[in-house]
Amino acid sequence: MIDTSVQIGPLRLKNPITVASGTAGYGEELSRFYDIGALGAVFTKGLSLKPRPGNRGPRIMETPSGMLNSIGLENVGLERFLGEKLPFLLEHGATVIPNVAGHSIDENVELCAVLSHTPGIVAVELNVSCPNVKEGGMAFGTSMPVFTRLVEAVRKVTAVPLIVKLSPNVADIAEFARGARESGADAVSAINTLLGMKIDIKKKKPHFYNRVAGLSGPAIKPVAVRMVYEIFAKVDIPIIGIGGIADTGDVLEFLMAGASAVSVGTMNLVNPDAAMACVDGIAAYMRSEKIHSLREIIGVAHPTA
Amino acid sequence: MNTLIQKPEEVAEGHYRLRIETPATLVPRPGQFINIRVSTGTDPLIRRPFSVYNYEDGALEIIFRVIGKGTEIMRGYEAGRGIDYIGPLGRGFSLCEHSSVLLVGGGVGNAPLYYLARELKKKNNRITYIYGARSARYIYCKDQYRARADDFAAVTDDGTAGLKGFATTLADEYIRKNAYDRVYVCGPTVMMAAIAASASIAGAPVEVSMENYFGCGVGLCSGCTIETTEGLKRACVDGPVLNGNIIVWQSLTD
Repeated sequence: MIDTSVQIGPLRLKNPITVASGTAGYGEELSRFYDIGALGAVFTKGLSLKPRPGNRGPRIMETPSGMLNSIGLENVGLERFLGEKLPFLLEHGATVIPNVAGHSIDENVELCAVLSHTPGIVAVELNVSCPNVKEGGMAFGTSMPVFTRLVEAVRKVTAVPLIVKLSPNVADIAEFARGARESGADAVSAINTLLGMKIDIKKKKPHFYNRVAGLSGPAIKPVAVRMVYEIFAKVDIPIIGIGGIADTGDVLEFLMAGASAVSVGTMNLVNPDAAMACVDGIAAYMRSEKIHSLREIIGVAHPTA
Repeated sequence: MNTLIQKPEEVAEGHYRLRIETPATLVPRPGQFINIRVSTGTDPLIRRPFSVYNYEDGALEIIFRVIGKGTEIMRGYEAGRGIDYIGPLGRGFSLCEHSSVLLVGGGVGNAPLYYLARELKKKNNRITYIYGARSARYIYCKDQYRARADDFAAVTDDGTAGLKGFATTLADEYIRKNAYDRVYVCGPTVMMAAIAASASIAGAPVEVSMENYFGCGVGLCSGCTIETTEGLKRACVDGPVLNGNIIVWQSLTD
């Protein structure tokens, strides 16, 4: 039996393959394609206290090897999450990590306080990087003083491992990883979507109601790998790598760049089986390469001191 | 992977019919769609949804219009190639029995209404069909449609086939004159909005098949969400067929 488990600070996952927030709903749809309990974890859709309707359409636009989205954190709100969505996930054996996307510091604090004391929730992911909402969102993730104040406040009330999902829309992402660590975060997820835009040349105006949108998919993978590599080189904090992962080869790239685990995101939408293929693929790789622990390859692309 | 039975056949200018071998266990319902991954690479990336045009003897057919990179690739498919699709997906049309129904299609949106008409005919409905298109050269398989309908009318913007004008005007006239038990529409959003309004005034139930942009087609991304009077609905899993009277059309047609 191959041991595919990975350690992310205080959090142990059965394997390094997770599904990214916003591309997996609350696990219900993916559970029709495979056993969601076999994933390392399920990061659920960005959550707010009250339900949010999200942005006006259009919300999606394909780009070369990627897509722009402007969903705007449509979600069911805390009450329905706890009452309907979480029980479903737990019944299906999923390892659940809610993504927390409050408008304000207070809202994030309240969400994390409740969620982290809810049985079955193994960690929370703080979303400081959504580019598609007017308040909160990316504003939290691009201003260092606001960012550290938020992480510190959330840390105080969070009784489970705290993961901070970083925005790539900054000059130096490693500085934010450092800020997260110093403010008490246990791990970082990198990266959220890159800020992008589409102009409708017939209407001569931005395609999206919100003007800007988040770019994801294989197109951003090289950027994500570079950012994971930089964080690993400069800051001692576990990293969950995200950005255009489509197959086992991509997973290995992120692990070698320094990620301790990864999330499959946009490719879930294209190929709902993608993450499960990676779970099987990593086990097969370990077997064929005679690797006993993924520790042997995490960060191996960095020069040895 | 399911096999493409024959090379895409051009059934009208820029419109192609694709026949795919399908397991007998996956019989689609009228109004459902399949989501095709056009290329094995990452560009184009997102799957393309196509409603079922017909299903017979283990072969599923769709009609597509070449409008971009994805459909351009599909046009060049050779017989015998594997087609990576997920489906049938979504909620289809409800099927009445022994009723009088009006079906209105616009352009490539006529596609799901053929399979619907076939199934409705089996249930002894009286079918009036309005086939809307921009011009005669874009009308496909007209005789097949005509054969399934008790009354059939074609309407073109330029008058090159059937009546000159818009399907919406004729549909409105029909709806005022006849008491239909149900109206089914698939076509451009403005057309569906207008016919839903006509049906609503006449008090006839109306079902529309939405054709907005889908991210995943399976409900994961909330990219195809539509505003309705019953809250937000994901067109891919709550639809694509929805009650036309609950859609907040203004949010789609602005």
